[in-house]
Amino acid sequence: MNAMQWTFVVATISGALALWMLLPRKRFRGRRLGSLLGLVSLGLFASQVPLPGGPAERTVFIVLAGVTLAAAVCTVTFRSPVYCAVWFGLTLLGVSGLFLFQGAQFLSVATVTVYAGAIVVMFLFVLMLSDPRGRTYYDRLSWEAMLSASAGAVMIGVLSMTLHRVFVPEAAPPAADANNVAVADASGASANAEATNVPALPEPPTSESLQANILAPEHVARLGGALFSRYLVTVEAAGVLLLVALVGATSIMAHARFEQLRRSRHGNG
Amino acid sequence: MLELAAIALVKVVILSFGLLTAAAYLVLLERRVAAWVQDRRGPNRVGIPLTSIRLFGLGQPLADGLKFIFKEEFTPSHVDRWMYTLAPISILATALAVFAVIPFGDVLTLGGERTIELVVAPGFDAGAIYVFALSSLAVYGVILGGWASNNKYSLLGGLRSSAQLIAYELPLSLGLLGVVVVTGTLRLDEVIRTQANEGIWFAFAQPLGLIVFVIASFAEAARLPFDLPEAEQELVGGYHTEYSGIRLLMYLVAEFMHMITASFLIVILFLGGWHFWGLTDAAAWGIEGEAVPLWLGVVRIVVLMAKVFVVILFFMLTRWTWPRFRFDQLMNLAWKVMLPLGIANVVMMAVVAEFEVPLTDRLGRGGVIGLTWVGTLLTLIVAALLVPLHSDNRRRSIEPDLFGTS
Amino acid sequence: MRADDPAIRWIEEPKLGLSGKMYLPLIFQGLTTTARHLVGPKRTVSFPEQRPNIADPLIYRGVHRLNRDQEGRVKCVACFLCATACPAHCIDIVAAESPWPDREKYPEHFVIDELRCIFCGMCEEACPVDAIELTSLFDLTGRTREEMFFDKEKLLSVFDQTKDAEPPKSAGLPPLQRPEEEHHS
Repeated sequence: MNAMQWTFVVATISGALALWMLLPRKRFRGRRLGSLLGLVSLGLFASQVPLPGGPAERTVFIVLAGVTLAAAVCTVTFRSPVYCAVWFGLTLLGVSGLFLFQGAQFLSVATVTVYAGAIVVMFLFVLMLSDPRGRTYYDRLSWEAMLSASAGAVMIGVLSMTLHRVFVPEAAPPAADANNVAVADASGASANAEATNVPALPEPPTSESLQANILAPEHVARLGGALFSRYLVTVEAAGVLLLVALVGATSIMAHARFEQLRRSRHGNG
Repeated sequence: MLELAAIALVKVVILSFGLLTAAAYLVLLERRVAAWVQDRRGPNRVGIPLTSIRLFGLGQPLADGLKFIFKEEFTPSHVDRWMYTLAPISILATALAVFAVIPFGDVLTLGGERTIELVVAPGFDAGAIYVFALSSLAVYGVILGGWASNNKYSLLGGLRSSAQLIAYELPLSLGLLGVVVVTGTLRLDEVIRTQANEGIWFAFAQPLGLIVFVIASFAEAARLPFDLPEAEQELVGGYHTEYSGIRLLMYLVAEFMHMITASFLIVILFLGGWHFWGLTDAAAWGIEGEAVPLWLGVVRIVVLMAKVFVVILFFMLTRWTWPRFRFDQLMNLAWKVMLPLGIANVVMMAVVAEFEVPLTDRLGRGGVIGLTWVGTLLTLIVAALLVPLHSDNRRRSIEPDLFGTS
Repeated sequence: MRADDPAIRWIEEPKLGLSGKMYLPLIFQGLTTTARHLVGPKRTVSFPEQRPNIADPLIYRGVHRLNRDQEGRVKCVACFLCATACPAHCIDIVAAESPWPDREKYPEHFVIDELRCIFCGMCEEACPVDAIELTSLFDLTGRTREEMFFDKEKLLSVFDQTKDAEPPKSAGLPPLQRPEEEHHS
């Protein structure tokens, strides 16, 4: 193991510890120590991640990524569900900002519209009807703090290590390995591990390519073209899935209503 | 790069100051229009401070603003402090951020060569969806304000608002979709340009889309007859019952900002933006080539603003024309009337866009438009016959209500 | 009461025609009404420059006055009926032996707290000799609470101010000729 790998290991461990300390548990909840450890872990990760472009872009990226990560940690560590939902909303905003930063305009605004604008609002809608101060202690604790913290941290460590390998050429492992990683990363439904013509490795974004991407004309048109040609089956499958879910929800509701009617007609039989 | 940022910054500053001032003066306009409709005169006293010059009450916004700022900023003890503070900030921030992609004119040509596009983020390709994204974020301010206030009226206001905004976002985006299908772009300035080039506003080309979009944007801006989130007669003040001072001001300004946004969108998508026949056409003034002289750019800004003003006036007149909907009527309208109408419009526009060439060859441009009008009328009649807005929700029997349709 | 109670009489709304169901024609009808009022004549009275036109000063309930009789004396006989009738308890009377032969008592002090008064006019209704009346003055104000305690002199001066525009509703009872035997009993 070289220094880089050691850094990732240390960062992962400290991240896991930080998360474990921040999670709402019965005892030993060290918020300050947890935040400190979390910062250390973030700094270690940041020191190894290839950052894009000039100082302005770097600052924007670091702020966006930091806000996103901090909000994500807060999402799982706050006790009040409403606060968690709001932090989740902020996480999504951060993610959307990162998308925008990468030139994915449509994805960015779609994330905000669909997730922050509809789904989290729906969460809030439900949470608002619950007691804001749930007094029962088991509702206010994280059940498997140790497991979840370590699992999350390990996943982040592995992900950042592989991404690091992909993006930093000198650290790249043998070609076959890299291709597999790229295939897994692309995660398109059309791609699978046996495909021989794997897509080319994504170029690390440079300042010029970023700018060209963001200001590219017909950005959405190109996205639409890709969605309805290369990924047509995926899009249709997702559409059918949503339709099935909709029909299922309707039938569940109708069933409940009929039950209610039946019971009221024939007593409680 | 630096120059780009500087220009953007200037635009942002001008736009934010302009919008905040506009919101303040719209409050005055709203009060005066309310008075005029009720055969009163409205606030006409406050003019230039320390003098007796009245200026038709144009000093009133200043007085109102000062009052709000110097009022005690009272935080009730039972509220959730963080969210209570965050809510008005978030709603005002999102309301202002929407204007990043909304063009407030065409282009200004400075010093012969340089052209400045009059939109903060020119070339943002997903502009229309950005508007929707941020207007859907506005719900947060309302919901969180209602929840944090820890007051049943505020909570009810927040609940109503979230349900209403989610429901009406669909017809709103369907109304937009009709325009997008025809123009093939999500950029708002491109939409205007399409209308200007053809000389036909989408209000004439797709009247059904206009109807759906206008009604849905009334609901999104929570203006009467859709102001259930803050129905004074039922909920005291709705989600801002517990707010006072500058936080209340933020809510009120944000509300007006939503109305301004909605007016801008209606004008841009359906009323031709800065275009007006003869007045803004470069050809009509005998100007050759692509370049737009400075004065024509200014004329276009003025035309756009005038249209927005008229739409805002329409918003205000509407307020005193119709009573508020009941909540079940609101939802029926959204899901049973507006949604089908919106889908019908999209289908109609898709057909027009797909068979544009053969249709125009046979019927001519006017014939196609006439066809859409006939389609619109038919759709409206069918909708009226199938789903009448029932006003009677009295419960006649003690049987449980099977599908909420008694 | 249950929803299916036979005692309930259900009243049906009038059925809408096609234009009513389509909603839009009615919307434009409503808008024209609103727009008509937008430009129509205004009814506001711009107060300090323009005095409001009070249709009937005799039934307007503004500031009180204490009426004088023909001889210029206060008409009040300090019977306390107005103070009793007052729902806001804003009338304070101190009675004293009357210096005049036609009545037993007269008000030595008569103070109305105009800030407490709700201008209901019950005192005027209650008064047996029509001594207290509500005028059509609506802008008689003061800058302190003390100023708004209107005493007998102030109330009489209100009468002097308004007697020409609003003559007392009755001349009052003629000076009472007391039967002599009352003195003996």
